[in-house]
Amino acid sequence: MTEFVAEKSNLCTKIAERLGELTLRRVAKEAVDNAQLNHPFIGEGKSIRSLQDTELMDGDSALVIAAGPSLHRFDTARLIKESGFKGILVATESSMAWCLRNGIVPHLTVTLDPHPKRIVRWFGDPDLSKTDLDVDDYFARQDFDPIFREKEIEFNRELLSLVDGHGPQMKIAVASCASHTVIRRVMESKMDAYWWNPMYDDTDIGDGLTRRLYELNRLPCLNAGGNVGTACWVFAHAVLKKKKIGILGMDLGYYDDTTYRETQKYYELIDLVGEDRLDEVFIHIHNPYVNRTFFSEPTFVWYRDAFLQMAEWANEDGVQTYNCTGGGILFGDSIKFTSFEDFLAATRC
Amino acid sequence: MSELLRGNFKPRTNVSAEIKSKDTVDCFEEEALQRLGGSITFVARKKFVWDGDAPALAGKS
Repeated sequence: MTEFVAEKSNLCTKIAERLGELTLRRVAKEAVDNAQLNHPFIGEGKSIRSLQDTELMDGDSALVIAAGPSLHRFDTARLIKESGFKGILVATESSMAWCLRNGIVPHLTVTLDPHPKRIVRWFGDPDLSKTDLDVDDYFARQDFDPIFREKEIEFNRELLSLVDGHGPQMKIAVASCASHTVIRRVMESKMDAYWWNPMYDDTDIGDGLTRRLYELNRLPCLNAGGNVGTACWVFAHAVLKKKKIGILGMDLGYYDDTTYRETQKYYELIDLVGEDRLDEVFIHIHNPYVNRTFFSEPTFVWYRDAFLQMAEWANEDGVQTYNCTGGGILFGDSIKFTSFEDFLAATRC
Repeated sequence: MSELLRGNFKPRTNVSAEIKSKDTVDCFEEEALQRLGGSITFVARKKFVWDGDAPALAGKS
């Protein structure tokens, strides 16, 4: 089935087209600061090159688990556990919590977002307080794993235990820009850490940020595609050399029963255009594979466009991507939108 | 109606409404836009891995 051309709002498209440059402007300073702060840990630790000396290189298939709403809206945990899938599981830090809570331990977890307070929540935040929840409703507000709405403080304690308990058996790819709060949890839980640099700009630029960071720490630089889910997919084929990659939980959009308030950038979008113009910045896309309409926002549209472009590059390397999410807006010529069962069948060939 | 709403006193000092300069509006919009950015960057026209002068994670077959 050919790519369904989405009906994009002009404003959504205009914003999405600028997000590459805007993201770099926003994260550049923090990226450098954190890379310098993390330098001592990096010096004592391992590069992601060492992942190629591990058992993660066995086999040719991987399953990427991201944290989109389809992950918890379907009985995904049971599907994974009963699948008999022999490949490796590569999870975002955001889906790691869901995985561990459902008795699934990823072979590799990836973390990259430098946010000092939000990302550590996925690891269990030892400093989480009621005041934090009053100040930032990011987790309670969105269509994440429902447990974040039901019992945030209690689940945070549970997650601390889960991560501490499983940590010694877990490998994690840590971006040099990761915040000190995440690094502390990685160390506390004794995860096996492998370090990497995100790619920030064209590496042909002599004094570009990517080159400067590489000169600082000599870590490989990965084109992360804007978000940790895409980064996991890059790890699966570009580092671990898998040719068949399934994806779960990468919706890059919202179910039609989601309110605008429950979207990721709700407050930011209100700041930009005002509440009465929100209709202009969200787009509605019909997914013909599941015959359902989803809506999305500029950030996710940018992620989607980046992913489809990268998937095309990956096709040239003989890599086939199977989006088994079961919903969302990530579909196009360069990937197969299939059922999880079809992906499993493909991996047995 | 406008005549009914006409002011009937003169202030001692001239008070002018604050007029936001284009720079201020642009700056606010730019900051608001930046907050919409992704978790990290995506570098178009570049592939997946760059490992300096060394072969990019050649790995094992």
